[in-house]
Parts: sequence; structure tokens; C-alpha cells
Amino acid sequence: MRLRTWAFCLSEASQNLLRNPVLAIASITTTAVSLLVLGVFLLLSVNVNSIATSIESQVAVRAFFAHQTAESQELAELQTVRGWQGVRSASLVTKDQALSQLKKEFGKQGQVLETLGTANPLEDSLSVTAQKPADVKPLAVRLSHLAGIVHTTYQSSVVSRLFALINGVRVVGLAIGVLLLIGSLLVITNAIRLGIAARRREIGIMRLVGATEALVHWPFILEGLILGGIGAVVASGLSFWSYVAVYHDAVHSLPFLPLVSPSPIPRDIALLLLLLGILLGAIGFRISVRRLARI
Amino acid sequence: MISLRNVSKAYPTGVSALRNIELEIGKGEFTFLVGPSGAGKTTLLRLLFREEVPTSGSVIVNGHDVGRMRRQQIPYLRRQIGVVFQDFRLLPQRNVAENIAFALRVIEVHPREIRRRVGQVLELVGLTDRATALPAQLSGGEQQRVALARAMVGRPVILLADEPTGNLDPQNAQDMMKILLEINRLGTTVVMATHAAHLVDRARQRVVAMEDGAIQRDALAAAYHEEVSR
Ligand SMILES: Nc1ncnc2c1ncn2[C@@H]1O[C@H](COP(=O)(O)OP(=O)(O)OP(=O)(O)O)[C@@H](O)[C@H]1O
Ligand SMILES: [Mg+2]
Repeated sequence: MRLRTWAFCLSEASQNLLRNPVLAIASITTTAVSLLVLGVFLLLSVNVNSIATSIESQVAVRAFFAHQTAESQELAELQTVRGWQGVRSASLVTKDQALSQLKKEFGKQGQVLETLGTANPLEDSLSVTAQKPADVKPLAVRLSHLAGIVHTTYQSSVVSRLFALINGVRVVGLAIGVLLLIGSLLVITNAIRLGIAARRREIGIMRLVGATEALVHWPFILEGLILGGIGAVVASGLSFWSYVAVYHDAVHSLPFLPLVSPSPIPRDIALLLLLLGILLGAIGFRISVRRLARI
Repeated sequence: MISLRNVSKAYPTGVSALRNIELEIGKGEFTFLVGPSGAGKTTLLRLLFREEVPTSGSVIVNGHDVGRMRRQQIPYLRRQIGVVFQDFRLLPQRNVAENIAFALRVIEVHPREIRRRVGQVLELVGLTDRATALPAQLSGGEQQRVALARAMVGRPVILLADEPTGNLDPQNAQDMMKILLEINRLGTTVVMATHAAHLVDRARQRVVAMEDGAIQRDALAAAYHEEVSR
């Protein structure tokens, strides 16, 4: 189509929107709100994930060697473990180091340990941290199968509670987001259908004088894209810029909180929202197009 | 120009609107379609601009086999055909010139060419001084002339008119008839369905009389009713 024909379609589309401003605003608002909810939950989800990863990677799996295991064997196994996938770090904790660590943790009450004299009831162990929280459990299992290891421990309750939280956030957020998206799709579809009904006569004349079907359809495609697009720009912009603001605030006031930096993931989420909004408009048109065929 | 071979049309409701129609209309001819209500006149016209497809038989219009043409081709057939109806079907929020220009804008004619041609057809229907009026500000006769101008602005080779004078008073009807005959004189093939016996009688053109979906009489330079020679 020629440029002036696109201009014609665009002016027809905007006339449709102006003819029914309340519905146009309703379409834009519902799209913006549903995308915003989706965006907030996605941002929340990636951040909970990031926080969990950081906490989890601080949780070490301890694998204790049998009494009197040779140091050379311990060092060899340390090397093996360091070569495993999913291992962030691994170190050998001798029973002497473990004891002094214990004394440090007891502090002033450390005197009780003096009663042990030169005896040390502790054993040598490997302290291994994982790259991802999901790696922790398999890592513990794998370590327990190593020769010389008698038992392994890790703080499993922390891990599973974090996973439950992440999954909960994801499922709830996705469900609410999808429901709202369906709602806004219905509103957009309705707006386009009303536009078609209002332009019944015009469409009839266009077909009568030999306009192509593309030209008959485009004003309504544009209407859908505008409705979905404006809502998407609002949701995308709002979620991204408010995330940037929260992030910069948190960097100063809560520096220990490992929030995801605005780029690339939150930026990509904003782009995803934009695409979803436009897609919503396109689907809205696709649903209403049957009305157009019946005129 | 127009050729119907053994054409029958049954609507999905089961009504048999046309039965075994044989009709040839040559280039530049003026043809009246007459007959009682329900005879099938409108149905026949609707087949010609592919608003309906025949149930059987072939409909050839300006070289296009209308019944078998692909969907994407329909717009190009319609650009060769002008149509006017009993109700004028103007766009109420656009003025006279815009209503006429609309037909060319949607087939992507250049704006300069549109302006030129709108001027020409306004002159043809005698509405040059009403170009900026809205349809609501026009009489019925003037509105129908705008509709006619819109049908002609694309320079169709065929003009189909379905009871174009049905909503007009006798004077306006006669004016409309005059313009239609003038359009035909300028070379356009015209097919007009009508109940207006006095217009048919005065024009002395070809008359195709239909009844119950069949052609009952087809005569040149004829009258509305069959003339019995004395
Ligand atoms: N869209 C339709 N669906 C079903 N039946 C139809 C349809 N259009 C017309 N008919 C039927 O087909 C027959 C012919 O109708 P048509 O409109 O062609 O007659 P006509 O000669 O134009 O009549 P009139 O002079 O009243 O305009 C009638 O019986 C009518 O009821
Ligand atoms: Mg009729």
C-alpha cells in the first residue's frame, strides 16, 4: 500500500478510537494493568531467585572423612570435587581448623573446650559450595558416595523453603497475569467489534467500489495495535523505570541484598511486556475479523 | 460484455430466485430489468458484481467468469462496475465531494487525479455547487445523484442500477433517468432494475421482463408492458 493509504488507514483507526473514547481508555488501562501485574511478578520472581541463589551458595555441604584418612587421599578427592560441574568452591577443613573455628564461634564460652586438652574429637572434612541452589542436593548425594566420606550435611530446610517460595511467586504471578491478560483481550476485542459495527456502511461501500481486503482490514489491525501498544508502552515503561529507581535505592540502603541489575533481565522483561501488548492487539483483531467477513 | 448461460440461483433458505437464465448484453447497451416484486431482478444484478455466486451456470462480466473467480480478484472486477441502489448509501459524516472521492481513495488513485475526476462527475450529475454540502442537507434526488457520481467516478464500463428512482418523486426520477441515458450515450453499458413503467415507456430501450426467476420477455425499443400489435 502507498504511504497516503497508510495515512488513510491510520486516520480511520484513530476515528474509531475517538468515536468511543471510554472503551479505548478501558482497553488501554486493562492492558496496562494486566501487563504491569505480569511484569511486577516476573521482576519479583527473578529477584527472589537471585536472592535465593546468593543465600544458597553460601550454604556449604560438609562431607566428613572417616577417622585417620590419609591427607594425600583427602587432597586428591578435593581436586576431584573441584573438577565437578556445578561446584563453585571446595576446600579442605582439617580437624584442627575446625576446632579453632569452633573455639572462635564459642567466644568467651570457649573455655569449655579447654577441657578437651590436646584431644580433638572432630574429623577432617570437605566444605563445598554449589553454583546454583538446585545443585546442592545432588552435590550432597554425590559427595556421600566418595571413598573415605562417612557422612554429609547441609541445611536442607532453608533450600526447600526457598524453592517453595520461588515457585509460589511464579505460579501465583503467572496465573493472575494470564487471567488479567485474557480480560484485557476481551476488552480490546470488544472495542474493535464496536468499531466494525460503527463502520458497517463504510466497509460495504469500500468493498462495493473495489477496495482490497487488506485496505478494509488495516484500520482495525491498527486500532488493535494502538490499543494494545499504548497499554504496553505504559506498563513496560512504568515497570522498568520504577525498577531502576528501586534498584538504585536498594544499592545504597540495602547493599547486601543481591538484586538483579536493571540490564539485561529487567530490560528484557520490559521488552517482553511491550511485545505482549502488541500481540494482544493483534490477537484482538484476529478474533474480531470474522465480524468483518460477515458484513 | 455481460453473458449469462443457463444460470440458476437458489438461496441457502431454499428459495429458487433464478431459473435457467440465458441473457446476453452487449457493450454500450441500455437494458431495463422489469417484473413483479420477487421476480429475481436484484438477485440477477447481485450476480453481476459478485455479491452472490450462481448455484449453476456461468456468469461472464467483461471477460471475468464471475462464479469461478478467485476471492482476491473480486475488487478488480468491481472497479470496472459502478452500482447504485434504491437507498443511496452515502456516508453521512462526509460531504458530497468527500463521498465521491472516497471511492477513488480506497483504490489508491493519486489525489490530483481524484480532484480532477470528482470535478468531472459533479458536473455530469449537476451538483458542482453542492460539493461541500453534507448528505443530510440534500434532497433525495440530489443524494441519489451523489451516489451515481460515486458509482461513475471510477469510470466503470458497466453501471448497475437497482431501482435508482424508487425513493424519488416523479420530477427527480425523470432527471435521474435523463442522466442515466446520458451516461449510456457516453459509452457505459447500463442495466437498470425498475418498477417505474412510465420511465421505461418513455425511454424506448431494451426491456428484459422477469417473473418467478425466469425471463419471460426480452425486446428491443420496448415498453414496460407487453405491446400487442393491432
Ligand atoms: N439474501 C436472500 N436470502 C434468501 N432469499 C432471498 C434473498 N434475497 C432475495 N431472496 C428471495 O429471492 C427471490 C428474488 O428476490 P429479488 O430480491 O431478486 O427480487 P426482485 O425482483 O429484486 O424484487 P423487488 O422488485 O421486490 O426488489 C425472492 O423470493 C426473495 O425472497
Ligand atoms: Mg429488488
